[in-house]
Amino acid sequence: MTPTLAAITGIGSVSPYGPLAGLIPPCALEPEAITAWPTSGLRRAFLVKPFRPASVVPGLKTRRLDRLSAWAMVASSLAIQDAGIDLSQEDRSRVAVVFGTGLGCAELTEAFFHSAAAHGWSATDPSPFPEGLANAPASHVALWHEARGPNVTVGCKGFAGESALIQAASLLRHGLADLAIVLAGDTLTRAVYDWYEVAGLLSPSCFNSEPLADGSGFVPSEGVAALVLEPTGRREVRAYAHFSSGRWSADGEAVETIRQMLGGSVPSITICASNGAPCATSSTSALAGEISGTSSGIVPAQAAAAGLTDTSALLHLILALSGQPPSGQALLLGTSGENGFAALLLELP
Amino acid sequence: MISGRLTLVTDSRKTIVVTGVGVVSPYGLGVDCLQAGMFSGKCCLAPTNDFYPGFVGSTAQVSGLPPLQNEFGFRYSRSDRLAMVAARDAVGNLDYESNALRGSGVFMASTVAGLSEIDPEIAENPSAWYQRGGLARAASYPPARVADAVGEYLGVRGPRCAISAACASSAMAIALAANMLLDGAAPMMLAGGSDALCPFTLSGFNSLQALDPDPCRPFDRNRKGLNLGEGAAVFVLETLERAEARNANVLAVLRGWAMTNDAFHSTAPQTEGNGLADCMRLAMEMAEVSGDNIGYVNAHGTGTPLNDVAETSAYETAFRERKRPIPVSSTKSYFGHCLGAAGALEAVIAIIAVRCGALLPTLRLADPIESPSVDWLRGKVLRQEVPLAMSVSAGFGGSNAALIFGNGQFGSGRG
Repeated sequence: MTPTLAAITGIGSVSPYGPLAGLIPPCALEPEAITAWPTSGLRRAFLVKPFRPASVVPGLKTRRLDRLSAWAMVASSLAIQDAGIDLSQEDRSRVAVVFGTGLGCAELTEAFFHSAAAHGWSATDPSPFPEGLANAPASHVALWHEARGPNVTVGCKGFAGESALIQAASLLRHGLADLAIVLAGDTLTRAVYDWYEVAGLLSPSCFNSEPLADGSGFVPSEGVAALVLEPTGRREVRAYAHFSSGRWSADGEAVETIRQMLGGSVPSITICASNGAPCATSSTSALAGEISGTSSGIVPAQAAAAGLTDTSALLHLILALSGQPPSGQALLLGTSGENGFAALLLELP
Repeated sequence: MISGRLTLVTDSRKTIVVTGVGVVSPYGLGVDCLQAGMFSGKCCLAPTNDFYPGFVGSTAQVSGLPPLQNEFGFRYSRSDRLAMVAARDAVGNLDYESNALRGSGVFMASTVAGLSEIDPEIAENPSAWYQRGGLARAASYPPARVADAVGEYLGVRGPRCAISAACASSAMAIALAANMLLDGAAPMMLAGGSDALCPFTLSGFNSLQALDPDPCRPFDRNRKGLNLGEGAAVFVLETLERAEARNANVLAVLRGWAMTNDAFHSTAPQTEGNGLADCMRLAMEMAEVSGDNIGYVNAHGTGTPLNDVAETSAYETAFRERKRPIPVSSTKSYFGHCLGAAGALEAVIAIIAVRCGALLPTLRLADPIESPSVDWLRGKVLRQEVPLAMSVSAGFGGSNAALIFGNGQFGSGRG
């Protein structure tokens, strides 16, 4: 049995379900029509409905920030509230922030390009530049919570959430922090959506009002999930799950690596956390079956996500925990649809 | 070559060593080229006006980037290419097909990544720009692309990740890679940073009025800002146990590392440099050394009015107990600020200081900021023993990182 490392004691999210502290009530979603930018015909995605961050977290100032930064601040506040932590009682120099993202602050990066297109590179608007850097969300989370510990942003193709959780647990394990706010997420912008569309990656469900159908392509989503991670036993509180260990690889020998991590045990439940692209979904299911040796106890990605087919692994985890899975060892598994994989080993109370 | 005498008694399973370093800098390819150029006092900063109409300033560019061998069919950004060439240089004659390299990880920092490939027209109509050939160019945009490019090029298939902490990114990549090795997540880690010059960053820093049109003067009272450069540096990191098992040449020991955040402002450093001072203190605590043991600090030293004052305050706090002023220089005065690559390139210079016993001065430092705690290195290269050297990095968003390198002298009591 791999030793337990860290407890997930708080959950917060800003997702198409809205801003929420704690678990997410079961509720199937349908994609919504995109109206934030001009489209040639119906285009759909799972979108975060606009909301005023200060109405969720009083006092929060998010003007001129990328939505990713604003959501990260909201989600982290909700997670800390859910964990019952009074940060004023914590040593803030021992509070780490680890943020995982695939694309970073795409919205303000596009705004900076817009400024260059409109005025030329020699007369760009200065405000989107620093706020468009990939680490801006993590630094705003640190600023808002006065978290002066390690502040890390990781970018990882398909596994940003998993790698953020693994890095955060590593910081705790090596005594570099007492508490970690772990986040992962992305925003959907016109340039991102159009890239998926021109690349031919989108599901037919993006272009019509029909219910979600399995088939080719995926439906993009957006949002930020946040977890509070602390050494198990640091406080006498309930934990949603305990993180034991994790591995990810760009192109590795998945079965061998994961079995090595499991140390001979077979998890009672395997949660598939890949995005909704059929190749990733099927390869994750196949890998889950190979690891567990059975098809029972496998929570498929789309069912776990109740309709959200492209979202961070942390949100998949929150949704899976919201389904009140049985206690025992759980494996959160993702594949990239190529040869990449990520696996997180958790103990569910 | 190795001259320090601070003996390290350690557990070889928990000691992280540097067994390869690859560099692409404005001086050319390789550490020797960088070292020779800097020791000669050559400054690579030169007037530039070819990035976009209206830009006039000083930059340090890499010219004559060597072609890639066995290149795949992907479109690579300039940051990708710089990283791939540096990584190839770092792994040297390691067996590409060996299990060790195949199962290793790649942590690469970049602030630009594929932004250099994207035109402003993308903002007006992304779909049309993609259909005109932008699709493949935009595929290099994600920060993780640089690590993937290195991994694909060298057949490194373990964990790959981009580390983003603005200008402290590559120092953090090295620190986090060390954590991964201690966790047993990979047998070896390639870690570093790469950034190319491009209109996006030049325009961004210009819009913030952070650029000095002339070659920068870090820590000088008349400093006016920074210059941008480009380059890449990649480290091969592994445990001492593993390095010894394969008879690898140990170039340096990563004795301590730390990361903190100012939690003060999104672009400005904390005025008193407290976050950075904490970071240096924590790195020294990990290395189990005091300020007196540090023989040289390679500073972040951008040359901006705010950074250099805060950083000087940080040295005064971190080295308050030291008996003599701490020798400090900023090597950004040679080849500018290479953003995501800066921390790794400057870590290479810290290793050169330890290995050669040579402290590089800050160029153009005529009238330094007054500080009783700092010995500003200027003028000639100073020759003296450097048992331990520290490389300090900081960045937008309040990120701080400190790395401490020592030589490969090990005590008889090591495990």
